Formats: sequence, C-alpha cells, structure tokens
Amino acid sequence: MRMIPRKQMEELLSAYIGGAEGLPEIDMDGQIAFIEEYFRVGSPELSWLFYMCNTALRIVSFIYMRRSFSRLSQQERGDLLNTISSSRNPLIRGLAVLLGLPIFMSYYRREEVSVPLGFDPRALKEEANLRTVSRDRELPPKKEEPS
Amino acid sequence: MIVGLADINSDVWRSADVVIIGSGAGGGPLARELSGEGYSVVVVEEGVHFTREDFNINPTQAYTRMYRDACQTITVGMPFILLPLGKTVGGTTTINSGTALRMHKPVLKKWHLTHGLTDITEAELNLLYSHLEEFLFVKRADPEVAGKVANTFLEGAEKLGLSCGWLPRNAKECEGYGSCVFGCPSGSKQSVDVSFVPDAVNNGADFYTCCRADGIKLENGRAAGVTGFFVHPESGKPTGQRIDIEAQVVILAAGAVYSPYFLLQRGLANSSGQVGRNLQIHPAMQVVALFDHPLSPPKGIPQSSYVDEFKGEGIMLEGGTVPPEIHSLTLPFAGNKHASLMTQYPNMGIFGGMVCDCDSWGRVVDSHRPGYRPTMLYFLKGGDVRRAKDATVLMAEIWFAAGARKVITPVAGHYEICGARDLKRLERSRMKVSDIFGMSAYHPLGTCRMGSDPEWSVVKHTCETWDIPDLYICDGSVIPSSPGVNPQLTIMALAIRCAGFIDGRLGGES
Repeated sequence: MRMIPRKQMEELLSAYIGGAEGLPEIDMDGQIAFIEEYFRVGSPELSWLFYMCNTALRIVSFIYMRRSFSRLSQQERGDLLNTISSSRNPLIRGLAVLLGLPIFMSYYRREEVSVPLGFDPRALKEEANLRTVSRDRELPPKKEEPS
Repeated sequence: MIVGLADINSDVWRSADVVIIGSGAGGGPLARELSGEGYSVVVVEEGVHFTREDFNINPTQAYTRMYRDACQTITVGMPFILLPLGKTVGGTTTINSGTALRMHKPVLKKWHLTHGLTDITEAELNLLYSHLEEFLFVKRADPEVAGKVANTFLEGAEKLGLSCGWLPRNAKECEGYGSCVFGCPSGSKQSVDVSFVPDAVNNGADFYTCCRADGIKLENGRAAGVTGFFVHPESGKPTGQRIDIEAQVVILAAGAVYSPYFLLQRGLANSSGQVGRNLQIHPAMQVVALFDHPLSPPKGIPQSSYVDEFKGEGIMLEGGTVPPEIHSLTLPFAGNKHASLMTQYPNMGIFGGMVCDCDSWGRVVDSHRPGYRPTMLYFLKGGDVRRAKDATVLMAEIWFAAGARKVITPVAGHYEICGARDLKRLERSRMKVSDIFGMSAYHPLGTCRMGSDPEWSVVKHTCETWDIPDLYICDGSVIPSSPGVNPQLTIMALAIRCAGFIDGRLGGES
C-alpha cells in the first residue's frame, strides 16, 4: 500500500465515495490507515493488484477522457469510474471493482456513516448481550434401536 | 479444554486415541462423538477461539479475525469469485447464516448410481438429520423476527405463485441481530463452536488453537499422528513452538479447500489423482431492490427465507441482508451516483440466488503462493451462466411483484432495471460470463470425494482414505456432488456416521 502516493489515494477515495446529502465527509487518514491494514492481513496479491489497477486507471483516464486522472474534477472522476464500471470488457470493469472494494468498505464501516443509515452495531450488541440461551434438551437416538 | 496461544510456552507432545485437524462442521461433531464414547481426542485448529462476547457485529473485524485472508479468498478463472472461508474454532459454521437444510432427495440416488455409495442409505441419513436437528435446535425462521426484507420478498414470491417459505435454521430463540456471518452476538446460532465443541470439551477433548498441522506421521504405512506448529493469529507466522501428537486414528477435517491443499503439499492419499479435483461451489448472484418505503435492513435474520420453485433446475434463492459496508460493494456504481443510492439504504432490500447444481467443476492446486495459501481454479460454464441469469431475472421479477421501484442487478449492461421493459431486455439477453460484475460463492465441496472406486475417489464411504489406513477425511471435501442446499447439516451427518466407523475401528470391530 505504501507504493501508492497519498495524493493518488486521496483522489481515489474522493472519486469513489463522492458525496450525497446526509453522508459525512471522507476521513482520509482513518480510511487510508484502514485500507493499509486490510491489505496487510489479507491476500498478498490483492495489494499488488490494487497498485496495478490504480496505474491502469490512470492510463484508462488518458484514453477515455484525454486527461490525466489527477486533472479531472471529482465529478468527472466519478463519471469515468461509472463508465468503466459498465464496460462489457471484464478487465476494464475489474479495475473499478477491485479499487472500489477496500475504498467503499473503509467509508461505510465508520459508525458515523452506518448509524445514520440505520445500522448501529453498538446498540445491537448491547441488546444481544442481555440475552441468555440455554442448550438443555433430550436428544433422539442416532442409530436404530435393536429390536 | 481449549488451549490458546497464551497457554503455550514450550513444545507440546501428546498422545491420544484420535487427533483431528480442524474444528468445523466435520471436526467438531467428530470430536464430540468420539470423546463421548470415551476416547481421548485432540483437535488442532489454526484459527482462534472466539466467544459471543467477542462477536461485536463489526464486519471488518470479523473478516480480519475469523475469515481466511480477511475474506479475500478468490477463485482464479472467469469470473473471479469471492469464496469466503472461516478460520476459527467452529470453522465456517461460526460465520455462516445458520441455514440447516437436508440434502435434496434425488442427490442420494445420484451418489448411489454415480459414486457407488449404496452403503449410505436414506433411512440412516434421515435418522442422523433428525438427531442433528434436535441437537442444533433447528426450526423454521420466525417471520416476526425475520425482518421486512425477507417478508417483502416472500410476499412478492407468493404473488407470483412460486414455491417459497421460511428456512430451517440452527438457531434457538433468535431475535434477528442481522449479523450471523460475523459471529452470533446473542449465542442463538448453534454453530459448532457453541454446540459440539463445548460438549467435546466437557467430555475431555483438548483443542489446540492457533496451531497449524504440517505433517501426518506414518508408521508401517498407517497414519499414526500429526505434527504441527503454533502460529500468530494475525500474521500467521510461527511462534517457534511445535506440537507432536501420536494417535491411533488421524482425521483431516480442514474443509474442502485446505484438506486437499494439505494432502497435495505432502503428496499424501493421492494415488487416484483426485485430490483437489472436482471442486464444486454454489455461485451466487445478488439483486438489490429499491422501495419507496423503509425495509430497515439489516435488522432481522439475514438468511431466513427461500424460493425453491426452480431447485430442480439448479436454482435456489436464499436471502439476504447485509450491513452498509457490504451492501455498498453490491452496487455497481461509484461517485455521487453510488453515494446517493447508499443514502437510500434503509429503503433497500437484497436477495441472493445460488446455482445449487452446477455443471462447472474447479480444482484446488498448490501453486506455491506466498504463505499457506492454495489456488482455486474455477471457470463458470455456459449452463451455469444461464442459471445465474435466470436466478437474477427471477429475483428481479419477485422484487417488482413485491412493489420495488427499481432493481439493481450485477449484470453489465443491465445494472438498473426500472420496469417490465428492462426486465424483458435482461431476460432476452445472451449473458456471458464476462458480463457478471461481481459474484460470490459458498459451500466448496468434493475435492477429496467419497466413492466406491479407489481409482476415482479419495475416501471410502466410511471416510477412511483408500491409500492410508487410519487416515480419515471428514469435511465438505468428501461430499461427492452438491447436496443442492447449504451443506452443513450433511457434513455433520457424515461426520457422526464416520465417528461410528472409527468407534468400531478403535473398539476392535474392524
């Protein structure tokens, strides 16, 4: 993950997450730290693929938009990602899918994002903690009884 | 007892009647059964033991702690398919949806005819299923608890006159916290870690966690024990301590991906050349629906309802809510479009359709990836692509019948379905495998398959390997063909059946 410069990571995060009324701002430091950790504990090939996809996205930007990814506005970056997401070419589409995986997770996992959307893990956990489930019971036979 | 890494200060030497590698749907029941018969049992488990206090409904934390490779295990082929695998005490049962279905009846006939497994009878399996259903508190999901998403989907299916209902689940007094796949926080789900493992421990079985087996000891051609080493749970790196267990019987129960990988790495039990071959999975498509009123996901039972109208054609719908961070991955968009859709998450429902009887076969190979990781090769064939498309169309139809405003599919060129016309266009399309935006799969099976012919199978009907006496394999890998449903109950039934043969062997009957 260290291979991708922070500026490029910021571009990716803002392009993918976009913005909508009611959703909090991107937490660059926290989310980049999460993505680094996600790659550290996961498949070793995934971080390498992430790096390759980022490089490929910048080439695709020149082909589709005639400008570097960095020079696109946030709206244009989002549009480019939506264009390649709907490509019938699986390799082009795969770029968008793979780059989006950790980025979306890094954002929507944050409680300040998930709670307003109706998912409050702390409240659910507190409620679940109050429950007790016992395992007492009589069991039927596993084998046919000898006649 | 359950031994954690903190309890290990030096190398461990043990002797036991039985040593089991893995504590999932195969290993857990075997440990309980055999320890209950009075045998000394030692279980070696690579994952960590978690309890309900640890299950905090945090998907990312669950992925990094309880899933292999932080839930980044992907098949290599077309398309790339995400194949989640558990790595914790209880195996994948700890992080599955709790669906506990019996195998489709025609499948056993197929096992008899194609694999010569006539020793496994329907009567015997039914008895085992009944026992397990009682032991695991299996009952139909409660519609009151299931949540609005499931109820709405079933309303749609009923309007279309489709065969559907509530899934049997191994959950007792479930209140629907929407988080089965991150570990049940209330202790309702009767996964192996809360059902079989505590009983086995009470019977005297010992579970060594954070411990990876690295060899099977052989004496005069017979399995005679297991060697292994302890690993740091996060990095997977060795701690320096080793384990050496002598035993009369060795059982490999590491799952349908890691059991064949273990054998392939060591060149064991593979005279048939079938180890790692015949990989079957249940590829699944997810369809998201947008409503004008709240469905309040993910509260409810994530997988509580089914539509089995087309199970004979290999399509089973089971669904399906997920928290926002997973839901966000199912929307094939980015930027503001993605964000504005996500703000409508409370009004969204999601359902899954799996191809439960595949023509496609894959393979587990040892391709020398970094760390302890096999490669899974899998190419989805034309017939299964058609089934995946049919499942997608069916789910979209059901959502519309239930009142959805818009449906989002993972099929390129058909992401947004806004009505009958779009749906017809998807139905008429010739979907190619490369059109699938994202696919996940579950229930890997068949990679050390059971059979009556040693040239075409790895284990006998007793689960003992053809090649190495006293080496048994008992997990999803021995199931010779898809049971057509979630396989955990069938794996457990075969494990209890296997325990009977091992009891006979240790008791001197064989």
